[in-house]
Amino acid sequence: MSQKISLKDAERRAFTSTFHDGLWDIFIGCFLLQFSIGPFLSPTLGDFWSSVVFLPFFALAFLVIWFVKKHVITPRVGIVKFGQWRVTRMMRFNAGMVLALTVFLLLGILSLVQFGSIPGWIHTARFSLIFLITFCAAAYFLDFTRLYIYGVIIALSPLIGEVLYVYLKASHHGFPITFGITAGLIILTGLVLFIRFLQDNPLPTDQPATEEPIE
Amino acid sequence: MTEQQTDQEKLHPLADIDQVIHAPARLMVLTYLYVVESADFIYLKHLTGMTWGNLSTHLSKLEEAGYVRIEKGFKGKKPHTMIRLTDQGRDAFRGYKQSMQQVLDDLPE
Repeated sequence: MSQKISLKDAERRAFTSTFHDGLWDIFIGCFLLQFSIGPFLSPTLGDFWSSVVFLPFFALAFLVIWFVKKHVITPRVGIVKFGQWRVTRMMRFNAGMVLALTVFLLLGILSLVQFGSIPGWIHTARFSLIFLITFCAAAYFLDFTRLYIYGVIIALSPLIGEVLYVYLKASHHGFPITFGITAGLIILTGLVLFIRFLQDNPLPTDQPATEEPIE
Repeated sequence: MTEQQTDQEKLHPLADIDQVIHAPARLMVLTYLYVVESADFIYLKHLTGMTWGNLSTHLSKLEEAGYVRIEKGFKGKKPHTMIRLTDQGRDAFRGYKQSMQQVLDDLPE
């Protein structure tokens, strides 16, 4: 055996195999679409309702992903229960995400309060930073390395949008363009991964009917 | 213990290695089971890349040795098998790891 056996790598491989299907990438892309489409709804619905209107869409996307996980992915890759180490790490991840969302919400409120009193790029930089920190933290705790890349491109989206707005007079601070491209890229990545996953992992057909171990 | 036996032990340190675990396929299965709480048959097949028959055979040997517990049940109407490492299996895997480390550490560079 020429390869070094690393228990940590084995655990990581077992855990990260749950991200190979691309479904979370598709969900993240769907989430980002609100920043691309939302600005067009703001004039009619207002800032608050133009965000809230996306909640049923997220719920639907989440339900679709849950359904596909259960009926398409699980029959192909099976079920695993992770050990205490991973469970603890996931609890820390969940706590971190709650904290990040709270900070995100507070920043949103702060931006509404300070609107017009501070330069627009400061609001943008705040959101870029929180996007970057949130995605990098998620990438670290989930061992989901693509999230580092997503974190960087998502963090760059509002900044580039601001540049497009200042220099090219792009509408809605350039968000529809930059977040549209980012969301499209992430959804496309997810779709490619999902199709590749289905091709690489066909439904098992050689399973013994009773699953009795062969002596 | 005779002098000959002692010499044999010195010359054959690998003889103490647990042969049930030492087979590469079973070592791979045990490694994955060691790092998770439990996994089903399909998951192990997916991770190890083995065929049903192959994996079944190795799991049977591990079960006979008392290293894994195979729990058969149903998910809806379909049969479903969960596999977990027993305490004995966990101890045996740790022992195997230590023995191998010792054997390899004792080898000259």
